[in-house]
Amino acid sequence: MRNSFIYTILGAALLLGTACEKEIDLNLNGNDNKLVIDAVLTDIKGDCVVKLSRTKDFSADNSFVGVSGAKVQIYHNGDTTLLTETATGVYVAPELSGSSGNTYGLLVTLDGERYTATSYMPSKVPMDSLSIVEEDLFGDMTKVANVSFRDPAGETNYYRFQQYIRGTKVKRYYVRNDDLTNGNDINARLYILGEDDDDHEYDINSGDEITVEMLNIDAAVYKYFYSLSSSATGENESATPANPVSNISGNAVGYFSAQTVERKTIKVP
Amino acid sequence: MKSKLLLIAVLLTAGKAIAQQKHTISGTIKSKAKGETLIGATVRVSGGGGTTTNEYGFYSITLTDGKHQLEYSSMGLQTNHLDFFLRKDTVINISLEDESVSLGAVTITGTSTKRSLSTPQMGLEKLTTKEMKNVPVLLGERDAIKVIQLLPGIKSAGDGNAGMYVRGGAADQNLILLDEAPVYNASHLLGFFSTFNSDAIKDIAVYKGGMPAQYGGRLSSVLDIKMNDGNNQDFGVSGGIGLISAKLNVEGPIQKDKSSFLITGRRTYADMFLKLSSDSSINNNTLYFYDINAKLNYELGEKDKLYLSGYFGKDKLGVGDLFGLQWGNTTATLRWNHIFNNKLFSNTSLIYSNYDYTISINSGSVNADIYSKIRDYNLKEELQWYPSSSHNIRFGINSIYHTITPGQVTTSETSQINARTLEDRYSWENALYLTDNWKVSDKLSATYGLRLSSFSILGKGDFFNIDKDGKIVDTLHYQSGDFVKTYLNLEPRLALSYKLNSTSSLKASYVRNTQNLHLISNSTTSSPTDKWVASTNIIKPEISDQYSIGYYKDLFGGDYELTVETYYKSLQNQIDYRDGANVNTVSNAIESELLFGKGRAYGIEWLFKKRVGKFSGWLSYTLSKTERQIDGINNNKWYNARQDRTHDIAIVAMYQVSKKWTLSANWIYYTGDAVTYPSGKYQIDGQTVYYFTGRNTYRMPDYHRLDLGATLQLKKRKRWSSELAFSLYNAYGRENAYTITFEDSKEDPNKTVAKQTALFKFIPSISYNFKF
Repeated sequence: MRNSFIYTILGAALLLGTACEKEIDLNLNGNDNKLVIDAVLTDIKGDCVVKLSRTKDFSADNSFVGVSGAKVQIYHNGDTTLLTETATGVYVAPELSGSSGNTYGLLVTLDGERYTATSYMPSKVPMDSLSIVEEDLFGDMTKVANVSFRDPAGETNYYRFQQYIRGTKVKRYYVRNDDLTNGNDINARLYILGEDDDDHEYDINSGDEITVEMLNIDAAVYKYFYSLSSSATGENESATPANPVSNISGNAVGYFSAQTVERKTIKVP
Repeated sequence: MKSKLLLIAVLLTAGKAIAQQKHTISGTIKSKAKGETLIGATVRVSGGGGTTTNEYGFYSITLTDGKHQLEYSSMGLQTNHLDFFLRKDTVINISLEDESVSLGAVTITGTSTKRSLSTPQMGLEKLTTKEMKNVPVLLGERDAIKVIQLLPGIKSAGDGNAGMYVRGGAADQNLILLDEAPVYNASHLLGFFSTFNSDAIKDIAVYKGGMPAQYGGRLSSVLDIKMNDGNNQDFGVSGGIGLISAKLNVEGPIQKDKSSFLITGRRTYADMFLKLSSDSSINNNTLYFYDINAKLNYELGEKDKLYLSGYFGKDKLGVGDLFGLQWGNTTATLRWNHIFNNKLFSNTSLIYSNYDYTISINSGSVNADIYSKIRDYNLKEELQWYPSSSHNIRFGINSIYHTITPGQVTTSETSQINARTLEDRYSWENALYLTDNWKVSDKLSATYGLRLSSFSILGKGDFFNIDKDGKIVDTLHYQSGDFVKTYLNLEPRLALSYKLNSTSSLKASYVRNTQNLHLISNSTTSSPTDKWVASTNIIKPEISDQYSIGYYKDLFGGDYELTVETYYKSLQNQIDYRDGANVNTVSNAIESELLFGKGRAYGIEWLFKKRVGKFSGWLSYTLSKTERQIDGINNNKWYNARQDRTHDIAIVAMYQVSKKWTLSANWIYYTGDAVTYPSGKYQIDGQTVYYFTGRNTYRMPDYHRLDLGATLQLKKRKRWSSELAFSLYNAYGRENAYTITFEDSKEDPNKTVAKQTALFKFIPSISYNFKF
């Protein structure tokens, strides 16, 4: 909504032949070298992975530089699982899965510092179907992935989706709650906005394989991704560009989510 | 307190009256050509003393009996001299001729345009029609607000932004009045145009400081705009056709000399250009506005006059059928002037004001309309009393009932969105004020006053208590008619002027302002969907105390003016957002997304102006700082407010080459706004996320721009006159940043880049204006 508004202003200016874009150099500095925790536990075995890295300079490359040698534990009701580091900065527990209704804890110990978080695994809302619909988006008929499900009326639900087109993960955050849609049949459309006209990486064509993961997340993780998508993705249009609201205590950024996951794959007709 | 002040004033005047026989001259000053009453026209008395007309052209002056020479003058009009022997109370109504009537024969003198050095009012900027007419503007659409932003201390929020920052204040801290009615969103087309059609404007005044007590409700400034009354002499039509808009103005007498009407309308047709595009993503779109100003005045008798004025404007913006946004203001003002006697003038106003917007979304399975509004009913009563030639007292009351509809979501039956209505918010704002303009001596004048303001939050509705993390800990239910909370504030106002000699003066002022309506914006740029929120039990009234000192010097016989003003403002209960705030929240208390703290702003403003002659214009420079300190932001340290700009320069020049050609140019430069940029980055879930180390710690690139304009007066026929206006906006094509975004490079996804978008390079325009 907000975006279409901005696009219209820009569209109007473009029409006048006046808007212009260019890369600029800004002197950005002081990344603090903070620990980054990207931690997920799902209801499926093999999905549990905790990635540790550090914040980088703006001018550095985007490669993942893992942080080794941390002690990473996930605990629940006195059961503690120690994760093993399989690659630099990547810690896994292949046999560990969670279940809805439980709260899980994360404890990362590194260089004597402790970083903790808890997350509640919410109930799993089943995906009814995944389909492709065609929609007129800004004058172009565009194929869009559509996830159908029924939102349960009796509780507050938070969702996150991940989309893969021809095996490539789409770099977009799709989060929603049921604030205005509680108890309804939902068709969640995973739009890919903001692409240039000559950019075809995320075009959906007949014969393509599309995979969507539907995640049920808790309120804090929703808040994390909501604030991340509105204020830390580099589109300087939110009220206050800022670090997302993290559920991790300790001097680190990132999140820990105990979430359910359901995957569906279709071939585009 | 008030009654005491009044008593002192009475005693002072009574004491003098005993000494000598005195009588009063009163009346109305108008322009001869159109019969428009003149605001701020000057009456000077030989041997010292004088007064100015009020906002309805009325004046009253009490003098000792005997022979006097009176001089009546007003900007742009011929001065009128009158010899008069005073022996009883007398009504003298004066009509002043247009200067242009005898243009060519008379060189423009300047006496009439000279500013008054002895009025205590400071921080006041006024515009003449000439300035409004000749300064080049975007797409040739004359716009008083854009010209005002070239004056020191008043800053445009930037390309594509509606707001205006005055002396470090935020965009919502300006009280914008159109014939006394508050205008809640003064922009059209996303800020490219203001809601004020220059053709319908009679007078425009901006108070940056030292606001007199009759104004209240906003911290930073008052923009007081008065509409023309309409020509009560002759029927007239004027209009213009430009590249993207057309306008028409019709006015004329209902009863000659006594009553008149005026209707002015504008419509832009930018969307017709959209249709020309072959790109279906553009030609489906809608983008236009229209507005109408109308006014009617009627003389009921010698002592009574009625005015009815109204404004209606609407903007429509649509992206195909997918998304629509429309917004607009409606105002209506009914006023009754009554002259009780030659020393007592009364005005009663009934005012209606409404701002609303509707967002429509119609994408596949999501169909919803979101509607929001703010509506005021407003009653004002003011008495102006002229007890003697050295006092001018105003006393008034003002009562406003506000209704705010924060958001109504309506949906179609098939929509997966549930309909919802957020509770309306009700509040009642009252003020009582007294102010006296006192000429203490030939050198010293003072305006002192007091405003008592109250703001009551009324039920029905739910209010909240929140903890320090913004979580709701308690919900309080109120019924209709309940008073949730009342805030009382006493606002003293004082302005002094000391005339050093005939060409220079010193002025000082102190003013306290309070504000109970706050604008919550969902982005760093302003948008029509920004929300007005009234004070609540948690959102406290914003308070500002401003101190300022100024030096005023007339040079070269008054042809040149130098003004230097400096100010310091301290602000309480300022509002900013929590990190990661969701101000689009449709269910929770908005308070849980906000933080409150204090602010300070200070600066110095220079204005060097040449008013008269073939070459006129000004140079303005502001050096300023504006900061906030709010617990929870930037480690509780002072930080730059978004609108903080260190340097701000404007140069405006107009040159009348011949009777036919007028050329103009302006150049502006300012330090980029304080802004939040990432200091680093990291990867979450395979995507680049930016890392921030503080709010508003970086700067936008500096802004500068040159605009050029030319007006060609076409051949005049008997009653018909017309002109062509040319302009070139951003003449040297500077790419000023509208937004700066950060993204993974398209060429090398392993790198991250900063990208700047500018809205305009050169924009030429031509428009044709006519009058008959």
